[in-house]
Amino acid sequence: MNGPFSFNLPTSGRMTSWSRWWLWAAVGMAVSLMWTVAFVPWWAALGSGLCAVLTLTVLAFYARKQDETTPRAGEEVLEGHDAKQVLEQVDALMSPSKDIEQIPQVDEVLQSMAADNQRRRVDDLMRRWVDVGQRYAEAALVLRREIQSVIKQTEQATGTIASSFEAVINKATIQARQAMELLEGTQGAASDGVPQSLKDFIQVSDERLNKMADEVVRVADLSVNMVRELDGVQNRTQAIDGFLLDVEKLAEQTSLLALNAEIEAARVGEHGRGFSVVATEVRRLSKRSHEFSDRIRVHLKEVRTGLSKTHGDMRTLSAADMEHALKIKDDVIALTRSLEGKNREVAETVGRINEISKEIAQDVQNVVVSLQFQDITSQKLSGMLEPMDELRSTLYHLMQETVNLDKGLFKNLPGSENWLSHMHDDPAAEVEVKLTKNSEQDLRKVHGATGSGPAVELF
Amino acid sequence: MATILTVDDTASMRQMISFTLSSVGHEVIQACDGHEALMLLKGKKVDLVIADINMPNMDGITLVKSLREQADYKFTPILVLTTESRESKRQQGKVAGATGWIVKPFNPEQLLNVVKKVLG
Repeated sequence: MNGPFSFNLPTSGRMTSWSRWWLWAAVGMAVSLMWTVAFVPWWAALGSGLCAVLTLTVLAFYARKQDETTPRAGEEVLEGHDAKQVLEQVDALMSPSKDIEQIPQVDEVLQSMAADNQRRRVDDLMRRWVDVGQRYAEAALVLRREIQSVIKQTEQATGTIASSFEAVINKATIQARQAMELLEGTQGAASDGVPQSLKDFIQVSDERLNKMADEVVRVADLSVNMVRELDGVQNRTQAIDGFLLDVEKLAEQTSLLALNAEIEAARVGEHGRGFSVVATEVRRLSKRSHEFSDRIRVHLKEVRTGLSKTHGDMRTLSAADMEHALKIKDDVIALTRSLEGKNREVAETVGRINEISKEIAQDVQNVVVSLQFQDITSQKLSGMLEPMDELRSTLYHLMQETVNLDKGLFKNLPGSENWLSHMHDDPAAEVEVKLTKNSEQDLRKVHGATGSGPAVELF
Repeated sequence: MATILTVDDTASMRQMISFTLSSVGHEVIQACDGHEALMLLKGKKVDLVIADINMPNMDGITLVKSLREQADYKFTPILVLTTESRESKRQQGKVAGATGWIVKPFNPEQLLNVVKKVLG
């Protein structure tokens, strides 16, 4: 990593130390002579200053020459036997036994050092390259597993959601059907006169109650007629009473006539005896007729009392019946209306339940459409794996080529052998080959979803 | 009601197709790829096949071609239900002998209408 800088630093350090040293010496000298101005004449100070600078220049020049011919601390960064070799070569060159003509060889050494530096930089770059390649390969593998896991998990989740919605729609359907059955139960027709439904029950009970009310009204009407008839009968009994009076009068007259006949018979004497017997018998008959009439009257009176009582009862009865019947009829009508209202509410509610289950079915249809995007996105994700695997494959081949280029370059690379063997044993490497074969198909999967055309087409 | 075979590698898709079709009383059998579909159809006659295109082992186009080669399935309606909507792919399907092409996602009502139409 620090290879490129290890050679630059000593060079720039040499330059800086030399010029700085010279600069600081001059500045120090100037400052040290400044204070003498107060005590000696200015030309004396200037003169001694110039002398000092001259001396320093000579010293500095000598020091620089010395500096160039000795190895410096900067070269310590050179590592391993290569650096040592170079230092030995330089030492050998700089040894006093060597001739001054051999100095140009220093350039060659420096060139060899630069080449060595270059090689090290390439080596370092290779290490980084292999490192990046290895990390990418690992990351791509993790990413592939993650994507596959996401596909699997979403598929499972979608399956669960789909099952749940299937259950929801099935239950909603059952619910609606049962509600409809309930409605049909309340609206259905009667069989064998037995009411099967609420509607039917209402109708039948309405009919029967109406019939009953009509019957009651009819009975009330009949009793009114009967009262009228009874009035007639009573009138007739009064007429009978009159007839009875006539009968009684007739009986009295007959009795009187018989009495007269008896008197006349008595006057006639013996000849009238027979007639007297007849007259007596007639009187007796008349008396009996009277008695009979009396008895009839008594019975007739009882009949009239009875009739009168019945007449009163009938009157009360007919009035009460009528009133009651009309009230029942009104009640029945009100009850029927109320039941009909309830029945209508039931029908409306069931209708709403039906509509809601239709809405649920529609919603579930939308869910079915949306859930299919899991399949579409899974295909897209699978499609993403392909370019990734292709890159991995390319990377793998590049790595291999790099390794083959110079195996020596990686001698010092820790774990490089492991990584290479990993690349060979990697099961994903086989997957790569397989996927590469299907690459066209997989890419089509990705593109397929973005194409255009009618959603449904019958050929 | 008809017996319908649905072929798709995604379980949830098969589930939704099955759910949609059985809601109107069709009997639905499922296969996860073209190969399994062919195996299933060996011993059973169906009235309609609904197949995906991109499937492992055997894709939809190959399945359609294989079915059209069989006497029993020469005239059986085969609907393709896929995410694929490119014209070239449709043409391939048409040439292979598919009866119709439906692009995913399908609308249940629409699917039922198409099924009704092709079943005659």
